[in-house]
Amino acid sequence: MIPQNFAYSSPNSLEAALDQLADGSAKVLAGGMSLIPLMKLRLASPESLVDLRRVPGLKYIREENGVLHIGAMTTHYEVESSVLVRATCPLLAEAAASIGDVQVRNAGTIGGSVAHADPAADYPASLLALEASVTLASKAGERTLSLEDFLVDTMTTALEPGEIVREVTVGVERNDVGTAYAKMLQPASGFAIVGVAARIGTGFARIGVTGLASKAYRARNVEALLEGGADAAAAAAVIAEGIDANSDLHASADYRRHLATVYAARAIRQAISRAR
Amino acid sequence: MSTTIATTEKLVGKSIRRREDPRLITGTATYVDDLKLPGMHHACILRSPHAAAKIRSLDISAAQSHPGVVAVFTGPDVAGVGPVPCGASLPGLRVPHHAILATDRVYYVGHAVAVVVATDRYVAADAIDLIEVDYEPTAAVADPEKALEPGAPAVHPEWPDNVSFTYHQEGGEPDKAFAEAEVVVKQRITSQRLVPMPMETRGCVAEYHTAEKSLTLWSSTQIPHLLRTLVGQMLGLSENRVRVITPEVGGGFGCKLNVYAEEALAGFVAMKIGKPVKWIESRRENFLCTIHGRGHVDYYEIAARRDGTVLGLRLKLIQDLGAYQQLLTPAIPTLSVLMMPGLYKFRNISADIIGVFTNCVPTDAYRGAGRPEATHGVERMMDLLAAELNMDPAEIRLKNFIGNDEFPYATATGLSYDSGDYAAPLKKALDMVNYHALREDQRKAREQGRLMGIGISTYGEICAFGPSPATPAGGWESATVKIDPSGKVTVLTGASPHGQGEETTFAQIAADELGVSIDDVIVFHGDTAIVQYGIGTFGSRGTAVGGAALFFALKDLKAKIKKFGEMMLESDDITFSGGVCTCNKTGNTVSLAQIAGMSYRAMRLPVNEEPGMQATRFWEPPNFAFPFGAHIVVTEIDRETGHVEVSRYVAVDDCGNIINPLLVAGQVHGGVAQGLGQSLWEQAVYDDTGQLITGELMDYAVPKATSMPWIETGHTVTPSPVNPLGVKGVGEAGTIGCSPAVVNSVVDALSPLGVRHIDMPMTPEKVWKILQGERI
Amino acid sequence: MKIGGSYELALPPARAYTVLQDPSILARCMPGCDHLNRIGETAEGHVAYEMKMKMAISSVQGLFAGTVKLADPNEPTSFRLIVEGSGKVGFMKGEGVLTFVANGTGTDVRYEGEVNVGGVIAGVGQRLLDVTAKHIIKKFFGKVAAAIGEME
Ligand SMILES: Cc1cc2nc3c(=O)[nH]c(=O)nc-3n(C[C@H](O)[C@H](O)[C@H](O)COP(=O)(O)OP(=O)(O)OC[C@H]3O[C@@H](n4cnc5c(N)ncnc54)[C@H](O)[C@@H]3O)c2cc1C
Repeated sequence: MIPQNFAYSSPNSLEAALDQLADGSAKVLAGGMSLIPLMKLRLASPESLVDLRRVPGLKYIREENGVLHIGAMTTHYEVESSVLVRATCPLLAEAAASIGDVQVRNAGTIGGSVAHADPAADYPASLLALEASVTLASKAGERTLSLEDFLVDTMTTALEPGEIVREVTVGVERNDVGTAYAKMLQPASGFAIVGVAARIGTGFARIGVTGLASKAYRARNVEALLEGGADAAAAAAVIAEGIDANSDLHASADYRRHLATVYAARAIRQAISRAR
Repeated sequence: MSTTIATTEKLVGKSIRRREDPRLITGTATYVDDLKLPGMHHACILRSPHAAAKIRSLDISAAQSHPGVVAVFTGPDVAGVGPVPCGASLPGLRVPHHAILATDRVYYVGHAVAVVVATDRYVAADAIDLIEVDYEPTAAVADPEKALEPGAPAVHPEWPDNVSFTYHQEGGEPDKAFAEAEVVVKQRITSQRLVPMPMETRGCVAEYHTAEKSLTLWSSTQIPHLLRTLVGQMLGLSENRVRVITPEVGGGFGCKLNVYAEEALAGFVAMKIGKPVKWIESRRENFLCTIHGRGHVDYYEIAARRDGTVLGLRLKLIQDLGAYQQLLTPAIPTLSVLMMPGLYKFRNISADIIGVFTNCVPTDAYRGAGRPEATHGVERMMDLLAAELNMDPAEIRLKNFIGNDEFPYATATGLSYDSGDYAAPLKKALDMVNYHALREDQRKAREQGRLMGIGISTYGEICAFGPSPATPAGGWESATVKIDPSGKVTVLTGASPHGQGEETTFAQIAADELGVSIDDVIVFHGDTAIVQYGIGTFGSRGTAVGGAALFFALKDLKAKIKKFGEMMLESDDITFSGGVCTCNKTGNTVSLAQIAGMSYRAMRLPVNEEPGMQATRFWEPPNFAFPFGAHIVVTEIDRETGHVEVSRYVAVDDCGNIINPLLVAGQVHGGVAQGLGQSLWEQAVYDDTGQLITGELMDYAVPKATSMPWIETGHTVTPSPVNPLGVKGVGEAGTIGCSPAVVNSVVDALSPLGVRHIDMPMTPEKVWKILQGERI
Repeated sequence: MKIGGSYELALPPARAYTVLQDPSILARCMPGCDHLNRIGETAEGHVAYEMKMKMAISSVQGLFAGTVKLADPNEPTSFRLIVEGSGKVGFMKGEGVLTFVANGTGTDVRYEGEVNVGGVIAGVGQRLLDVTAKHIIKKFFGKVAAAIGEME
């Protein structure tokens, strides 16, 4: 449980951080809740770490023109407890609150969570349902992608070497929409065995799923059924169709598929009940 | 600093907060890993990634030449160190030679292969990666039943059947009982392997004093004195030149009731390099290399009459031993056999144990050690019988309990139960849950299609280990009480508490007996150079045996105090109470401080008395103590997901007299947490190739504060006649009572679907599959 | 752990078969594969190659050294692929039968087999083993398809 030697730097400007990351050999350190355990097990042995914790301007939650901007270094706890997030995007606060335990939420960051792209991470389900975007920054400049395009596969994202997640943006929740996140948690880690986020309005549905497949995804088939007037159970029933479901010692593929339908129905029903 | 205050108010029986806690919760306690000695080096151990392999060759040259590395040792280097000891003996027991480092073969994942010693812990860890081992993997077997199949891979090639021992015990006429029975119910019941998981992993620091030829070993252990004796033997050191110190020990749960290879290895390294060396177990190593608990596959048969009267119990117990015998490995299942009758009048018993080698880390004592498995078995069988006979589970228990007038009760397994009122805690628990109303709620719930279950377990356990003839290393305990010239009191206990709170309860006892303030008493333990020989803390024995030794030492000391009082007050009619001797005629008094001062200045001495104010007693218990109790658990199952929700938990325990209710509640809570862990979440899973696939806390689900239900506790008090305090022990009770109550509850919830039994852990997927009609 | 699935390649079965037996293609397409050196035939008659592989998924990295073996050739319908490697993070052994079934102008390559891992990756990687194996297989076939595209 002792990592290999690594170089460490803690730059105090974004520019310096991006400089140090430019050649792609260093790893970003955010909350360290995923990276440090891997390093201690020597499953990850980066030669150098660039810690973003002292970089100013990466930790914020603000609303501009109906868009909620969340700095990459904003912790799960900060999102969960933000009055602004709760008021303007309750689904995100609900997702943040469901992550791991208090210690993890105090350290882990939204940028780290999406960059790590763990197939069982909680955030992505909600962020996909929210049609979130991520803004990436590198020495060469910035680009913005939809989260859907950003998440490529298991622990694989569109991040290029030298690039960091700078910000996550979501729209302020529509007035007619109710939202909910429902998950079965794995009792050891708290990660989602299956988690489903639902945003439901009149003739409007967005469903994000995590834990079920190699990456979080939007269940467009469920959305279409709901938008076409199907009830929660009928819509939820198709959520795992065509999905090559994950399997591990906590849940077989069949059980996960089943859970996805159960939690989808629960999330949808709750979202509907919360819609005004 | 307060002076000795005469108190008449008794402390025993009061909920006094633990005196240990301030240092623990302010982070100022000293654990092994907090020690820093001048010149201290660090050891790191290379461990086998294979469950079974031959070591073809081993190349340590790169590690040796790594900057900062001082030495690398492998199997042949430590050939002179004695094997890891097995303290249990059974007829025909096969004990494999357990060298402290593997030589030509490895037998389980985590088996120690080499040790690197370096100036720095990080360097040592890096150098481990530089050792090249050429393994030739061989077939492994991890499942004890598969290990018994013909043609299974042999864990130890010299014993192809993988059987370490068989053991038979019988009482009464079991065959006759079964032949005459009106009902026989059979069930296979497992108790899965568990990882004990103390918060503090193991660790030790060894320092060798070359000139004195003496070794000081700091170790996170439950048994400092036994460790000293055994490590001395392993290293060829004379025992009086070994000093073992246990700093703060962050939990043990039985897994530190052992002597491990690393403890001798640290000593060996310190002797070789002439510098202190520290080894701290990582959490990964703790999973892989510290003993596991449980590991039973049990085949039960219960014989009864149609009216519910139990007649006999049969058990075939397959014990997964792992690859080696640790200190008590083979003895643990024999405890299950001793306790298999539970609280009932089973006059006819038959048990067969098969101890099986597997390519896994050894099993040994884990909270309850054999008794949770036994209780789980008999309590499941009582429910199965009740279901078969359509009887209420409370009723069948009340019908078969040993009666209050039958104590001491000789069991069919050869024990003598000390005292009991077995119906009392059950009745109290039934009252607490309002049983009849609860059953009515359940009926309504079922009408609504809900799966609600009520589970009862009435457990009995054997603890306060124990009379010496029945224990491998002596079952007594020791205590010294010293009163300083200023009248302050120091208790040295041979027990080695590590979280149980004896620094508080023993101070309560001493303060009461001597009539001093608890602030004037300190309790010291865990240093073999300071504390007289002792056995240690395990088997719920700390207070019942160690506390009794303390009681007798205090008694001796009080007699001496009185003699000094008589001399100083020039009267033979005096009373010692409230910390002062009072002449009953004149009313004159002398304080304990005055008496203690006199005893050390020794200007005058009572006839036939020596100077000083100190007494030591070694107390041999005449019997074990047998606590008991009843747990009732209400569960509700999510039909859609199989998730089990514990909606109510009631624990009524009878542990005899209670010294400190707060600590008893704490022990029950902790015990129940571990029982729930086994019931619902925890399992050490080895795959078919012998890889431990639940090897980290991200996959091995230890209960968390947030996963615990509210626990309602209650007590009945049936003093034990075995010791003068009338206490019985409560350290393991919560764990022992818990799992059958939870499983009985879930089976009860699912009984409308025809479910009779579920093995632990009752994970959502397992329950869901049962709901889908799958047979598990 | 059992694995199984199929992947479509735009080649007829006979060609797909030879492509997937071609060590240069295997070396190029096995994710992180450094090189494959033919070491000859094993006692069982398997064609064996020595390999070095650097697996990298996100920040997780492992260096594996081992062998790739091609066995039970049954041209053009099936053969057995055995990949074994070990490194500091543990060891792995994957063994599976590849079956080639014509599908229009292309081929369905079906695979069925078992992956066993040991060491740290087995002890702490359970949660991600299945997804990771799938990820690697997907990546492998993706690269094979790309290589075929280049060849055609
Ligand atoms: C005990 C425990 C329980 C957990 N339970 C859950 C759970 O229930 N649900 C859940 O979703 N998660 C859970 N997690 C994971 C947790 O949410 C992590 O915080 C999160 O996945 C990673 O965020 P981090 O800030 O800690 O990132 P780090 O660990 O610092 O980094 C993770 C990876 O992302 C990269 N990275 C980090 N930030 C950036 C950035 N801004 N730009 C580019 N790359 C970046 C790093 O280089 C690294 O590769 C748990 C973790 C632990 C330890």
